[in-house]
Amino acid sequence: MSGTEHPLSPHAFSADPEVGADLAAVDWAATPLGDPGQWPQSLRTAVSILLSSRFSMWMAWGPELTFFCNAAYRRHTLHEKYPWALGRPASEVWAEIWDDIGPRIDTVLSTGEATWDEGLLLFVERSGYPEESYHTFSYSPLHDDDGALIGMLCVVSEDTEQVIGERRMRTLRDLGSDPTVARTEQEMLLFTSRQLGRNLGDLPFTLTYLFGDDGRALLAASTGIDSDHPATSPDLWPAGRAAAGEPAVVELTGKAFTGLPSGDWAEPPTRALVLPLLQQGGAPYGFLVTGLNRYRPFDDGYRGFLELAAGHVAAGIASARSFRAQQRRAEELAELDRAKTTFFSNISHEFRTPLTLIMGPVEELLARRATADDEVRAELEVIHRNGLRLGKLVNTLLDFSRIEAGRMQARYEPVDLSAVTAELASAFRSAIERAGLTFDVDCPVLPEHVHVDLGMWEKVVLNLLSNALKFTFDGGVRVTVRADGADAVVTVTDTGVGVPADEMPRLFERFHRIENARSRSNEGSGIGLALVQELVRLHGGTIAAQSETGSGTSFTIRLPFGHAHLPEYTEVPAGPATPLSANADPFLQEALRWLPSQDGPVPEPGPVAGSAPTTGASVLVADDNADMRDYLTRLLRSAGYRVVAVVDGRYALEAARADTPDIVVSDVMMPRLDGLQLVAALRSDPRTAGTPVLLLSARAGQEASIEGLDAGADDYLFKPFSAAELLARVRANVDLARLRNHHARWRTALIDSLQEAFFVCDESGAIIEINSAFTDILGYGPEGLPYLPVHPWWPDRDTDADGHQAVADAFRMLLGRPTGSYTIPVVHRDGRRLWAAAAFNQVRDPDTGRRVIVGTFRDVTAEQHAVQRDSALAALGLRLSEAENVDGALTAVLAELREIWQATHVLAAVFSDADNPALTCTDPTVNWDNLPEQRRAALLALRARPVLTPVTEDHTGTGITLGHPAGTMVLWIEAGPARPFSAPDETLLALLAGHLGQGLNRIHQIDQQRETALALQRAILGPDRLPSGFAVRYEPATRPLKVGGDWYDTIELADGRIGIVVGDCVGHGLEAATVMGQLRSACRALLLRDSSPARTLMSLDVFAAMLPGAACATVFCGVLDPGTGQLVYSSAGHPPAIVGHPDGSTHLLDQGRSRPVAVRTGSERPEAEYTVPARATLLLYTDGLVERRRQPLSSGISRVSAAVQRGLGTPIEDLATEIMDRLIPDNGYDDDVAVLLYRHPGPLDLEFPAESGRLAPVRSALRGWLERCGIDPATTQNILVAAGEACANAIEHGHRDSPGGRIRLRAAATAGDLRLVVSDTGVWRNPDPAANPYRGRGLTLMRAFMQAVTVTSGNTGTIVDMQARIL
Amino acid sequence: MTTALSLTNGPGTVLTAAGEIDMSNADTFAAALTSAVTLASGSPLTVDLTAVQYLDSAGLAALFAHADHIEVLTGPILAPLLEISGLNELATVRWA
Repeated sequence: MSGTEHPLSPHAFSADPEVGADLAAVDWAATPLGDPGQWPQSLRTAVSILLSSRFSMWMAWGPELTFFCNAAYRRHTLHEKYPWALGRPASEVWAEIWDDIGPRIDTVLSTGEATWDEGLLLFVERSGYPEESYHTFSYSPLHDDDGALIGMLCVVSEDTEQVIGERRMRTLRDLGSDPTVARTEQEMLLFTSRQLGRNLGDLPFTLTYLFGDDGRALLAASTGIDSDHPATSPDLWPAGRAAAGEPAVVELTGKAFTGLPSGDWAEPPTRALVLPLLQQGGAPYGFLVTGLNRYRPFDDGYRGFLELAAGHVAAGIASARSFRAQQRRAEELAELDRAKTTFFSNISHEFRTPLTLIMGPVEELLARRATADDEVRAELEVIHRNGLRLGKLVNTLLDFSRIEAGRMQARYEPVDLSAVTAELASAFRSAIERAGLTFDVDCPVLPEHVHVDLGMWEKVVLNLLSNALKFTFDGGVRVTVRADGADAVVTVTDTGVGVPADEMPRLFERFHRIENARSRSNEGSGIGLALVQELVRLHGGTIAAQSETGSGTSFTIRLPFGHAHLPEYTEVPAGPATPLSANADPFLQEALRWLPSQDGPVPEPGPVAGSAPTTGASVLVADDNADMRDYLTRLLRSAGYRVVAVVDGRYALEAARADTPDIVVSDVMMPRLDGLQLVAALRSDPRTAGTPVLLLSARAGQEASIEGLDAGADDYLFKPFSAAELLARVRANVDLARLRNHHARWRTALIDSLQEAFFVCDESGAIIEINSAFTDILGYGPEGLPYLPVHPWWPDRDTDADGHQAVADAFRMLLGRPTGSYTIPVVHRDGRRLWAAAAFNQVRDPDTGRRVIVGTFRDVTAEQHAVQRDSALAALGLRLSEAENVDGALTAVLAELREIWQATHVLAAVFSDADNPALTCTDPTVNWDNLPEQRRAALLALRARPVLTPVTEDHTGTGITLGHPAGTMVLWIEAGPARPFSAPDETLLALLAGHLGQGLNRIHQIDQQRETALALQRAILGPDRLPSGFAVRYEPATRPLKVGGDWYDTIELADGRIGIVVGDCVGHGLEAATVMGQLRSACRALLLRDSSPARTLMSLDVFAAMLPGAACATVFCGVLDPGTGQLVYSSAGHPPAIVGHPDGSTHLLDQGRSRPVAVRTGSERPEAEYTVPARATLLLYTDGLVERRRQPLSSGISRVSAAVQRGLGTPIEDLATEIMDRLIPDNGYDDDVAVLLYRHPGPLDLEFPAESGRLAPVRSALRGWLERCGIDPATTQNILVAAGEACANAIEHGHRDSPGGRIRLRAAATAGDLRLVVSDTGVWRNPDPAANPYRGRGLTLMRAFMQAVTVTSGNTGTIVDMQARIL
Repeated sequence: MTTALSLTNGPGTVLTAAGEIDMSNADTFAAALTSAVTLASGSPLTVDLTAVQYLDSAGLAALFAHADHIEVLTGPILAPLLEISGLNELATVRWA
């Protein structure tokens, strides 16, 4: 390469146009390097390498180490120094770091050895300030043309982002790494300070301030700065903004900020960032001040890092404070617990003396049988039992205080734990079995003795058994003792109500009772299990519980064998233990009282003669304590009341709703439903709202009574109460209520007498009062009141979404409007679906002043069925009328039936002859073979039944038999859950099935007509096979017929010419089609006899005159020479044919025109001649294509001409579709349309054996076709060579291994394009140029002579697709 | 339209072909070419293709094989082919 180079754009600079241009602009003459035109080759090469490298590089050259750099270096490192730096001495360019890099460059230039530095910190001034930056670079020597050292090249990558990013990440990681979960605030601040203090690069100093209770900021921690530095004063920082959660940047100017520490850097920060220490959902804890590294920009990355660091500090404070709060709460609770125990044990002690003085005399009285009559004796037993219970409670509390005080004196003795435990358990057997539970005690002999204090162990076992009995209603209780290693394991398992998971942690907690658990008694203090745990602990053992709600609870106690674990063990010889009964008795007595009395329900004694007046009033007594219940019953009966006694609030509510008493006397504390809840429930039910309630409670005090009266109780009595007081209160309340309820009873009677259902609903939509007709219609009685929305009679949301929605809408109206009416589907309690027509009014309750809604409704199911039947019939009729054939009708009707009955699915089995019917189902996965055997049998049985007689199989569905055009059809409706079949449904089904049978037969007839018409159409519309180059379309105006009055036809004449006819008979539909068919046949026959279009039409005139309906048909008749494109034509009143020329112009064939057919028979018809040019498109059509209402025909013809014009380059078949689509009116064609398209010449299609001898004739045929296409000789020659090569390849490659294969050559032309496809059935081999160096030239020639060549080779053959543009 | 290949030897060192040359008769053409080149014994052989209406890659292969020893005479029909195939770079191609 030689030549003169322009001095101003030396070749060396051209590698990078941009930097090159700036280099070219340097005044090189002023540098030691001089004019670039004179630069030595070595320099030019070095500059060229530099500029073309995409790696960041700079270089220094010559005596002054003149500076060059490339675009990457400019972008990564140089920044603002560009382009100033170009051509300057390197020492000037990098003056600020020359102390660092100068010596390295000297070393390179003096030794000729390269240097390598990794991550070197350099303070570069490229953005207006010294900037902390890190670089990894190598300096390598450069030599001049003579080989002397003349400069150096630096390849550099900047690591600043990476180094700083890692440093920050390390700090954040360390801040988040503290493994201790909870710690004090002080420890946490020390920890974060340690981490923040390790990064003096990004955090030259930090100050952490926390807000005190008074809102003042106090310095809590600092890093990098002495805590007595003046800058630590909180007043210097914008604490107010931080308290509001806003960050702030503070300029560090002023006296207080002198002498700030500089961290890792030479100079201290000039700015600091103040970030709030944010508290989730509260005011910030404080704020964090960080001095900013002045050598880094304060960008988003830096700010983000500081915010994350502050976030870590804030999170630490949050966890420390929440830990502190939790700890404090736990301490307070423990203190409270201790105080409670102390209090109870103190007063318990005081109970012992009076108890002893009660129990002693009572036992003595009981022992004196003679003196006691039965009644007195019974009362004494009550006293005795309750004395025992009180004593047990007191003893337990005393045990606790002893354990607490460490004064529990245990007497451990070696015992056979199995035997002891089994004996204790046996004491409970009768109680457990009486409760109807099984009791399983499985205590085999253990290998060793266990040391226990028998008194304590008894309490453990009895408490657990008592507990098990209390909470178990079905199943049983099981006690087992086993040896497991060094332990004896005792389990007490029940199948009771279980303990909810969230209560498990507090199970052994003192005074903790599980709320709302179903139990045999509400009695209990919540300390039994706590005591058990303490006692087991005293034995060096453990107790654990496992429970599942609803399945039961299991307690497992582990006691070690031997006595090594008992520190204060003193051997006590095994001696006679305290008689068991003394300890077990209180437990047993208590348990027995929970169980139903053996006598059954409390018997109702006759009125006591001579005692209090017989009022006849009824009293409902509810108390879970059997003694109290019995006492109240006796007392009230003796006063002449009728008494029903129940054990809890739930039973009380049921009893009151079933038979409203005159008064309810109820305890407050009861399991399941307590007294207050009972009052609330009674008050919310209109029937019991007026029933007086007298509450009894052991809880004394004003507050308790106010609570009771607040809930709606009429009166309140504290225990203990006197018999006289109770009776007085009961009498007063009954009398008062009778007076008050007189009107209410009258109203109830009135409402109940209504024929229509009546209801009252409150503002929330709850039904609070109903009458008996309501219950009769819906099945829901007053005992279930109130009925809260969603009411139980609403249709199910999932299975009957529409019904549910209808009711929901009506419900909204009910609540929202002052008055109205609606008809809705509802579900009877027994699952039946009903229709209810309701009317409602809003009124104000005179008693409460609240708004209520009063409504009535009646059962309109029968009327609704009539409406439904009519609409179902209409829907069925619509489906039948829309269907095009029998199968389509059946599918649509099944879907409709499924909709009507909301069935799971509906199927139709048509039995034509065999037993395997044709099955149609709304569920497409169902077929005859996968139907359950039972269902198949049912369908076969139905087939034999008389038609139109529905058969309902219980709950599964309903079937019916009807006539189908192909045989007997069985229709089966698989019942859905929402819509059981009722008698009216069966009637409706029979009706619908009748209509369906008729409908199907009618459709079948139409079907057959249509089949006939289709056959006719196929016969008369047009030829089966079109000559090549033609495309046709036909669109009838009338559906479902697919024939009409228009037609097209092509006739291959004997001389090789083709007759083409497009005609249009008057009218459309089947009638016009029959005329059309005859005209078409006539025209065809006439053309075959005489190929003159004019004479053909004249003969047709004669024929048509004799054919009714044929007159006035229009016909275009032409004869085309496919070789030359010459067309002779004559038109009988037909719209002109359109010719689209390859150059884009269009021409109308509007010569040779005369009147429509048979208008003036015998007159001459003209004939015209036209030569269709090569690659032109000819379109014949009927007026349906162009005629539009209120538009001249000419505008339609222009539209079609435009469509032809647009489609000149489109293959003819595609063009036919395109024209039909493009011209379709908005509502579809309203007249028949026939279209015939021809492109001249028609495509060439040759098939020949794969033999080289066939190439010449093929070539000859192709040459002739190309000539007809009007292709010039030079292009023709090119195409011949390309086609010849493709055929030669097919012979040579495709059929080398399978001689006798065939090759197909197809060619088609559009206005501007020519497409050739050569296909063979062989497998091509990749050309092997070494084997035949000249053969590969074939493909090259194809590609050279054609615009596009695609070769697709597969297992079935190879297709060469070539395209050439023709101009 | 298709014409069979006819070959005429010279006067002197000239081989004249007429008609169409494709893979069916390329061997004949190649043999004629080889013997004419041999006969010309060193002096360039003029191959007159002005009367050839069609030549495919098989015929071209025969010409390439003797490219160093022939001068090709062509008419307008074959000229583009000879140029595209690159024959004119190896052998002298003259317009008749």
